[in-house]
Amino acid sequence: MVGHNPKRTGVATQRAIAQLSRYWLLVMCFASGAVLAECKNTPADTDLTTFYSNSWGIDHHNTRYQPVSTVNAGNAANLELKWVYGLSNETPRSFPLVTKDTIFLGDSNHGLVALERETGCERWVFEHKGLISSAIIPGTIRRGDAKEQPILIFTDRFAGIYAVDAITGNLVWHITVEDHLIPQYSGTPLVTDDTVFVPVSSMEVTLAANPFYGCCTSSGGMAAFDINTGEKKWYLPTIKEEAKITGSHFLGFVDEWGPSGAPVWGSPSYDSKRNRLFFGTGQNYSHPTTDTSDAIFAVDATSGEVQWVRQFTENDAFTAACAMSLNHPNCAKPTGPDVDFGAPTVIARALNGTDVLLAGQKSGDVHAMNPDTGEVLWSKKLGRGGIIGGVHFGLAVNETIGTVFVPINDRAAMNYPSPGTPAPGLYALDIESGEQQWHFSRESRCDDEECMYGLSSAITATNDIVITASMDGYLEVMSADDGKLLWSHDTWRTYDSVNGKDVEGGSIDSQGPMVADDLVMVSSGYRWISNQRGGNAFLVFQVVTPDE
Amino acid sequence: MNNSAQSNLFLASRWRRLLATGIDAVLVPAITIFLVMVFDVVEQAEDFTDQWWALHVLVLAIGTYLLLNGYTLWQSGQTLGKKILGIAIVTQQQKPDGEYALLPAPFWKLIAIRALFFPLLFVGIVPFLVWVPILILISIVGKQRRCLHDYASGTVVVKLN
Repeated sequence: MVGHNPKRTGVATQRAIAQLSRYWLLVMCFASGAVLAECKNTPADTDLTTFYSNSWGIDHHNTRYQPVSTVNAGNAANLELKWVYGLSNETPRSFPLVTKDTIFLGDSNHGLVALERETGCERWVFEHKGLISSAIIPGTIRRGDAKEQPILIFTDRFAGIYAVDAITGNLVWHITVEDHLIPQYSGTPLVTDDTVFVPVSSMEVTLAANPFYGCCTSSGGMAAFDINTGEKKWYLPTIKEEAKITGSHFLGFVDEWGPSGAPVWGSPSYDSKRNRLFFGTGQNYSHPTTDTSDAIFAVDATSGEVQWVRQFTENDAFTAACAMSLNHPNCAKPTGPDVDFGAPTVIARALNGTDVLLAGQKSGDVHAMNPDTGEVLWSKKLGRGGIIGGVHFGLAVNETIGTVFVPINDRAAMNYPSPGTPAPGLYALDIESGEQQWHFSRESRCDDEECMYGLSSAITATNDIVITASMDGYLEVMSADDGKLLWSHDTWRTYDSVNGKDVEGGSIDSQGPMVADDLVMVSSGYRWISNQRGGNAFLVFQVVTPDE
Repeated sequence: MNNSAQSNLFLASRWRRLLATGIDAVLVPAITIFLVMVFDVVEQAEDFTDQWWALHVLVLAIGTYLLLNGYTLWQSGQTLGKKILGIAIVTQQQKPDGEYALLPAPFWKLIAIRALFFPLLFVGIVPFLVWVPILILISIVGKQRRCLHDYASGTVVVKLN
């Protein structure tokens, strides 16, 4: 009789587990190989006849409203994950460009990728080792009688603006703004027929954290380039005065300068009827402050001439130095609340047929203006605001019901004081009057800092729904009529990806969700400010009909 | 004399070593920062149009280190901090009879190997890299009171009086 030996049984179990692990590994290798093999014969050709957006704001008015979509309140509950693409960085900032068969996406430290819309497989990659910080924008180069060349435009946060052939993925041109010593290309350019408008902010907002830096001399601006040649048409600094020495610190070794700042962080909106560009500015970096900071500019698109400027917050001077310590030598005193207009302006049509220029501010305010004069029609304070909003990245409107949707973040960040009670969530206001129609508030999933549940990223609207994405990783669909939650997906998880990468979701911020036909897509992960959870997931969802 | 006995007789005390390192860790960056300010290396926007400012700072830091410590390291195996505390860096070599001898440390080893660990002490100001200086210094608690840079360059630190 063979007796039972627990020790031997344990060894046998361990061996069996080891054996199984090897088999499992082998299966996984084959599986991932199979996934990659599926992508092997992906054709490079793309159908460029239809683009589902032509700017960061989906249209030139920055409405963030997608007219070509079948996702609605009736079928949003049937959204299911279609495929996942593994990004090469944990702070994705790009907004996809969708065609009938392709999704173009900026993947920092990898490049501009053309993904087959049905499968997520790479058609081609324009390799680029840098921080792609913009939406991907379509354009066309027309040189005399030569055949039109479709291009895709994106910005590298520090290296400039790139145009890539939309068919081959080859570089066409690369331009930088020479009027600014240390530009930062945070906002997405806007492309009209023959002009590329480039918003310009400055590295000085963070360089000032170095106490040996003489803060600050630069001004934000807006540049216009010829799309065909890359030549400059005009450049408009948001501060006209040259910076002068205003003081010094460290025994006179480090000079202090001003005025400075008023950067343009967001994409402009373009009104073809008035031939005007509208855009917002950020705070000053140093004293003396100017009347062009935290302001909205209306500019002639052809000449770059200023039509009007409306300032909403005076004497706001702030740099990253203030987030380190209010006693930092490069922290302007008195110190401002840092309430930029980071979110792009929106040109919206109210139900009474009038045009209204809308602007969301980091202070938590939304302002409506007459686009002809800059006269303020109404202002509404929805949140307490803070250095990452209030309104941070962008609004959306649905003109058919006359509503503007306002995401409020209200998250404290970088230890900078944020007095008041936070009121994060989504707010629906009447475009014409500013009257609140409904409000949707979310619950925090935990008490950790990364669980802050505000809406920092831009949002998107289509049909009778609004699509939001939260700092704590939820992609959600709400009814545009009453704010009822229709569908939610928690992206704080791991995913299998079509390109074989380990993929995790995280905080959703920056450019936010895109919708096209029956697809909803979003990049999850954003390790940029404070303790946001990083991630590298580009997620594509599709409405599945019940009988599918 | 065996190695252990020798260590007990000549090795510099831990607190003298740490204090000497502390003096160097204050003087070198302080003078580097002063020079960075004097030469406007990182003061103007123009400085950040490319990455050369980082090289300028590095050159100034190396220059400061050599200016402060070069001559005394060459002459007596001492940084300024060690000179103030009366301790010196020597090499430990085993003779054919098995005994250990303490010899002046070759200058090239002090500069090309040992000094490379000095800037690594400062990366500890980055919270998630705080383990780096700890890793370098932790072995000073051993009998031979040698840090990682001592093992890398084959040196020990002894007291002179």
